[in-house]
Amino acid sequence: MSSSEVPLRVAAVSYLNARPLVEPLRDHPAVRLTCGLPRDVARMLAEDEADVALMPVAAAAEQGDVRLLPGMAIGARGPVRSVLLVSERPVHELDEVCLDLSSRTSLVLARLILARYKLSPRLLGFPSSRALAEVRGSRGAVVIGDPALDAGARFPCVIDLAGAWYAWTGLPFVFAAWCHRPGALAPEHHRLLLDAKEVGLGMRRSLAEEHARKTGRSAGELERYLTEHLSYALGDDEERGLRRFFDEGHAAGLLPRGDDVVVAAPRGPAPRGSTLDAVLARAAEGERLSGSDAERLLAGASVFELGIAADASRRRRHPAGVVTYIVDRNVNYTNVCTTSCRFCAFYRPVGHAEGYVLDREVLGRKLDEVVRAGGVQILLQGGLNPELGLDWYEDLFRWMKSGWPLGLHALSPEEVLFIARNASLDVERVLERLHAAGLDSVPGGGAEILVDRVRRRIAKAKCTSEEWLGVMRAAHHMGLRSSATMMYGTVDTPRDRVLHLLKLRDLQDETRGFTAFFCWDFQYEQGVRVAPKDTGTLVYLRTQALARLVLDNFDHVGASWVTQGPAVGQVALRFGADDFGSVMFEENVVSSAGTSFRMDAGTMESRIHEAGFLAARRDVRYTHLTEPA
Amino acid sequence: MLSEIVRKIDRGERLDVADGLALFETRDLLGLFALADRLKEARHGDRVYFNRNLRVEVTNVCEASCLFCSFAKLEEGHPGARTLALEEAWRELEQRLDDPPTEIHIVNGLHPGLPFSYYEDLLRGFKRIAPEVHLKCFTAVELHFFARHYGMRHAEVLDRLVSAGLGSLPGGGAEIFHPEVRERICADKATADEWLEVHRIAHRLGLRSNATMLYGHIETFAHRVDHLARLRALQDETGGFQAFIPLAFHPDGNGMRNLPAPTAMDDLRTLAVSRLFLDSFDHVKAYWVSLGPDVAQIALACGADDIDGTIVHETIYSAAGSSSPSGLTKAELVRLIQEAGRRPVERDTLYRVLEEHPRVAVPEASVKVRDRKARRHLDVLV
Repeated sequence: MSSSEVPLRVAAVSYLNARPLVEPLRDHPAVRLTCGLPRDVARMLAEDEADVALMPVAAAAEQGDVRLLPGMAIGARGPVRSVLLVSERPVHELDEVCLDLSSRTSLVLARLILARYKLSPRLLGFPSSRALAEVRGSRGAVVIGDPALDAGARFPCVIDLAGAWYAWTGLPFVFAAWCHRPGALAPEHHRLLLDAKEVGLGMRRSLAEEHARKTGRSAGELERYLTEHLSYALGDDEERGLRRFFDEGHAAGLLPRGDDVVVAAPRGPAPRGSTLDAVLARAAEGERLSGSDAERLLAGASVFELGIAADASRRRRHPAGVVTYIVDRNVNYTNVCTTSCRFCAFYRPVGHAEGYVLDREVLGRKLDEVVRAGGVQILLQGGLNPELGLDWYEDLFRWMKSGWPLGLHALSPEEVLFIARNASLDVERVLERLHAAGLDSVPGGGAEILVDRVRRRIAKAKCTSEEWLGVMRAAHHMGLRSSATMMYGTVDTPRDRVLHLLKLRDLQDETRGFTAFFCWDFQYEQGVRVAPKDTGTLVYLRTQALARLVLDNFDHVGASWVTQGPAVGQVALRFGADDFGSVMFEENVVSSAGTSFRMDAGTMESRIHEAGFLAARRDVRYTHLTEPA
Repeated sequence: MLSEIVRKIDRGERLDVADGLALFETRDLLGLFALADRLKEARHGDRVYFNRNLRVEVTNVCEASCLFCSFAKLEEGHPGARTLALEEAWRELEQRLDDPPTEIHIVNGLHPGLPFSYYEDLLRGFKRIAPEVHLKCFTAVELHFFARHYGMRHAEVLDRLVSAGLGSLPGGGAEIFHPEVRERICADKATADEWLEVHRIAHRLGLRSNATMLYGHIETFAHRVDHLARLRALQDETGGFQAFIPLAFHPDGNGMRNLPAPTAMDDLRTLAVSRLFLDSFDHVKAYWVSLGPDVAQIALACGADDIDGTIVHETIYSAAGSSSPSGLTKAELVRLIQEAGRRPVERDTLYRVLEEHPRVAVPEASVKVRDRKARRHLDVLV
């Protein structure tokens, strides 16, 4: 029992199956317990909001440098009943499978089992409440946790994924375990959780009865679920099952190697890990890296080690050595904005004398100029202006699409959310209407760092990480593509940057909707209320190279010459980039922060050539519009 | 090809002209940079040198007509032609006596109308104001011009200037030695042999000097290697060179304005090859005025161990369209080097260490950062 005054921060999944491990901790004086979906619980450990987390083992592998407390886990040796692939038709007739996104472990398991059956339906991610409702015809769903308990009886075709795993491997499957980071726990914490398990296992009947009362399910069946189907052990067999899962997931490119995840008591042996050279070699080969692998690269690898690995990674994806660029124009339709981000020098508050909304005459002239210059796209972004409603955007988009043959890459997630809030509609509906009005793709701006601790400090009024990712998820679901960005160099740590990349990779696993990734450092201007750090051109090169290595499911990484300057941008092409961004006609946000570089297409191409690549123009989907030359 | 060169370097063998050419032509740019960084680290560890210097250009009147020059005005009275009175030149130093530079770096046009005593008085005056200051003055091209114009032998010119306070020679005026290029871009000034001869004599008199190469215009990689080979041969003979400084051609407002400037990749490649080829040079300098502070920072990982100094008031590159600021403060230089993860070391002209700074950056709240619009560094007030 801990005598410490500071309560142990415990995070745990809120499903019934976790309650035998968690229930006795609920009012424990030495514990501060937070329950949530598996994904949230994993995030809390990653972002140091929890000391120990009962979370999916796949998330542990993604994060890396994680230990699992011995003796306790949530697993099954055979069918588990709460992780199911359900459908109206037999599995081999499915064209699409909706995935409940709340747990990475089950997602990976589902993919492995489908691959084992040699099936490759299209996979669609949904929040946990939605997947089940999507099942019809040739569309099945993987459902997880409590909603799955009923689903088994409702559908004619059901595959119990843990059962399928056991039939395949003869090994138990471990869904979740108590995860902790080296140094975060003391031995008495381990004892506390083991004691809780002892007590909790004895409570299974009463937990089943309580759950039955709340849900109207059969108490006997729930008790059998807790006592016969689920297993709470983490011994040698379970560890073998866990390793096998990591190995299979790694071989399929779905998981990092998992060699920096060990079953270990507090102060037990450290994860074996790999040498820096081994991590670099694996990265260059395109193997999936864990978060801790990425942090080690960032801390220990030289700029050239990172660059050479990233260049190799780029070459594997784009062996022809082509670097693309787009001819487009960035139009900031309004500078009126309600967020007042601390790093932004562009916005003006509502009612400010310098506030503007572009009128159609000005805009029309700009569009004419783009067409005349051979441009193919408008990048349309602006502030969060409360005077502009959804109708205004719809009208604008229809007008633009009716008069000019230009792609419309418009409205960052922040703007979409703002329009949705103003219109009291959900994001999906707003995106549908904008899509119908002519929206072609969504720019990835405003991501900054997708860690809320950072966002709260630099952009308090902006959307949360989950909201940003949610807009992108919704856009990807309706077939819109988007880019992704990262702005580092404010209050973020190297770890935050890695977490940012992992969140993007995670969503990309789900949707495959991101086209490309760009990053840049915070562009400081005097008067802005946040101090830059970790700026400098070598940091940029390292960061971009790391992104190429971590984002193994992104086709494209671009060099941000607009922020770094054409010279550094050119050098950055050799650090994992295959795109040189855009020939910008104007870029008001970055130039009000002092960065004002210009490049025309000819200069752009000669810089691409000088860096040893062929150049080709592209559209927003990265389709080549000119022969590489 | 690069791997063969790596083996040669590992065995301590000297690179030949063919190797130099192969290095310039390699497509493995990162491999080249990393190799140059390795040699730089072997020689200097994580140190990067800088100094507090003051550039003074006393006259831009010049009888030479170099195609690449945007600085020189041919005759006195020509629009923009300007020759400082001695008092005006000295005032540049007098104004800065609260934080005096350790070096004054003087480079000028070849003015046909000044007496030799002007230059002697110029140096004496600076020494009178600040006896400690090191005077690094006059390129070999100027010194050769002095000898011819005032009817003296090279050694005599140097003797008289040393008596007046001259401490060492800058490396300018080398351009490209090879006659195929030199005759086209700067036919009417010191030839390659004359340039080298002035440095040879200076080294014999015990003066140290630097060497440069102006690249990225009409020359080929073979011309660059030839240039480096000539410098290396003289260094083998005298050991008098301290630093080699590649200078990027900037095209604005000069006789080759139709040419593009070399790109950053060429800048870094040239620096890296120089480090590998000039095995007898201690220092290879990333002259930030030529590269711009951003690319100079990358160059610190590509073989350079020096970033030059505070400069204060540069006019030659800025006349050719360089967007670099005309000077950086000491704190800005320290920050620039720290951002690159290196250890800033303030040196004097002869590379004696004056102050070692920590490798790590200063605390967040007091950092100096770049204002990209003004292209200069600023304090952040938090």
